[in-house]
Amino acid sequence: MSDYVNFMITVAVILSAVSIAMFGLYYMLASRRNAISKTAHQNGYDDVKQYRRDTASSRRSIISWDIFLDDDARSIGLRYLITSILFFFIAGTFGLTMRLSLTYSTPSLLTPDAYNVLLTQHATLMIYMWAVGSAIGLGYFLLPSHLKLWRDTRGTYASTAYWLWLFGAGLFLLSRASFRWYLYPPLSLQLTPNGGGLYAWLGVLGMIFIFMGIMVASVNILQIILFDRDKTMKMGEMSLFSWSIFFTVLMIIVSAPPVMVGLGMLFYDYFNPVFFTAANGQVLLFAILFWWWGHPIVYIAVIPFFGLIYELIAKFTDAKVFSYRSGVFGLGLLTALSMSVFGHHLLNSGLGYDWVLLFETTSFAVVIPSAITVFNWIATLWKANKIRMTTPMLFVINAIIDFIIGGITGVMQVNQGLNQLVHGTYWVTGHFHFIFMGVTTGITFAAFYTIFPTISGGRTYNVILARAHFYLTAIGSLIMSFAWSVGGFIGMPRAVAGYFPWFQPYQDASILGGVIIGIGQLVFLYNMAVSWLHSPSTSEDNVLDIPANVGPGKPKSIDKSVPDVPSESVL
Amino acid sequence: MNKQRLEMYFMIAVLVILVGSAVANYGTISKISESISHDPSGTNVTDGTVIHVIGHQWAWTFVYSNNTSTVNAFTVTVNEKVTLLVNSTDVIHDLYIPQMDVQSYAVPGQTNEIQFTPTQTGSFFFECVEYCGEYHYEMRGYMTVVN
Repeated sequence: MSDYVNFMITVAVILSAVSIAMFGLYYMLASRRNAISKTAHQNGYDDVKQYRRDTASSRRSIISWDIFLDDDARSIGLRYLITSILFFFIAGTFGLTMRLSLTYSTPSLLTPDAYNVLLTQHATLMIYMWAVGSAIGLGYFLLPSHLKLWRDTRGTYASTAYWLWLFGAGLFLLSRASFRWYLYPPLSLQLTPNGGGLYAWLGVLGMIFIFMGIMVASVNILQIILFDRDKTMKMGEMSLFSWSIFFTVLMIIVSAPPVMVGLGMLFYDYFNPVFFTAANGQVLLFAILFWWWGHPIVYIAVIPFFGLIYELIAKFTDAKVFSYRSGVFGLGLLTALSMSVFGHHLLNSGLGYDWVLLFETTSFAVVIPSAITVFNWIATLWKANKIRMTTPMLFVINAIIDFIIGGITGVMQVNQGLNQLVHGTYWVTGHFHFIFMGVTTGITFAAFYTIFPTISGGRTYNVILARAHFYLTAIGSLIMSFAWSVGGFIGMPRAVAGYFPWFQPYQDASILGGVIIGIGQLVFLYNMAVSWLHSPSTSEDNVLDIPANVGPGKPKSIDKSVPDVPSESVL
Repeated sequence: MNKQRLEMYFMIAVLVILVGSAVANYGTISKISESISHDPSGTNVTDGTVIHVIGHQWAWTFVYSNNTSTVNAFTVTVNEKVTLLVNSTDVIHDLYIPQMDVQSYAVPGQTNEIQFTPTQTGSFFFECVEYCGEYHYEMRGYMTVVN
């Protein structure tokens, strides 16, 4: 029991430190607001908010401590983006540590318990903090200009949502839970070090806070899109990126409530087990509540980036999207279908023939919107007169290739005969790492590189280092995911701390891939650090601010002044 | 190439791929055996070998019809239908025999039934593929198929 007490003391100390830091931040915020209100009065404004709105366009959107104090949409967006990149490095380190610990077929570098904790943290932080965080961040950052917002007054809610989300992640990190990101109940209710983790309840609490944050942010963004966009802008004229964010937040709002209810019931089960125990209820009920959300979340993690791919292609080919309508239709259909496929995560749980057939069919139908989207990108590239192979564009092309590979290895699983062979193996891990590394991670970096001059106040990044970052990330993730896919196909189970010795070659290959990815991210960090030391040398204009794919019939408005344009690499 | 033509080509490409995969899938749909949740009181399967599989942290126990049992290993006869009744006593597990294309969740409070017929003798590995706690990776062993 003393171990427990010691841990709680640690938690209390950390929470106190965080509270003190929060108070300091509040003090800074309050004094800053005072100063702003003083300036506003000096300039003849009675209403401070009106003053903030009128001067919003002249404020710089640059990374500084101010973004944690200002409540305008761009600052909130940068806040999310920076936090999500931070968590990408935390969770990435966890992932690399897991990879390295699999050097031997019996656990020797890490205890199985430590491995399972890292497994849980890596998945949860990557999904909720990296994928969702960067999607929300880029949404907040780009929507004001894409939608020509006539007001920007929802910052208080947005800020609250951000802190709730961050607080939840902090609790989750502290919990050292080992129930994977699924939180399947009989295991997550075992408060033992070798079950769900001694402090698994803290992890569930963290998840509740993360969900509250995501939910408030989603409603907030939906309000911005519906009510705050320019009065003259019709829905049908929004940029494809705005549409993708619209569908994303819609998906979050529709699919998160079941699992939020489930998490509440799960937390209640810790002191009165009535819901998810074998004796009292149905243990698979939580799995169904979870996957109701758990499948849409993987689309939530890619759809915003599909929208960004449309925007980035338009920027670097000087061509409008091939078909605006089918772009919107593809994203919308993906949103609608995402609700109907959750059962394919439980095909082998005893659903029976009829349900399996239903979920096989709906999962197969997901191919249609995905193919529409991919063909739309390819057609845009095909019709373009030239393609400027800048670093962001390399990421985009890699994303399209990775999405095709990952999509095909994914849709193959809807055949039940094949599903029984690959479910729960590294095949699945390979499938979604293709997509998450290619689309989610790659496109976030592509967008980050594109807006880098803006958020750094006119600095430029080193192109050669950025290329190195791209090639290391792309090649590393290709090696890693391919090794997993091949190993998984011959029966290598995922989420294990040890394995049968004959899987050694596949594990070794994926370790190699993982290490290459890790080196690539170090190159990125070095590039950012070095670039920040240089003095500003270029315009702060954000090229992504000008939506390229506006509604049909509108003239294309494309800015050609993009930094990082090597003239020799024109296709 | 004009826009309509390009659009037509990609529609045709998608349809060809989709119809091709649907035809390929159709052949396998009725052939596979899959896990179906089952009344825990017993089974109405009378032919072949019936084995109760109990997953627990962290081993598989196989109980035969004559009430003998083995841990992390079991033996079946070649060319004879095998019915596995998969259950769990604590958390969710997942029995996976890749070379037989057999996979079934082991859910506490629910019995899943899955059937297969081994056609070759030899030793085949099985694993737990639903994460179940610290020693999840040790829930594995060999199935022996004999004459």
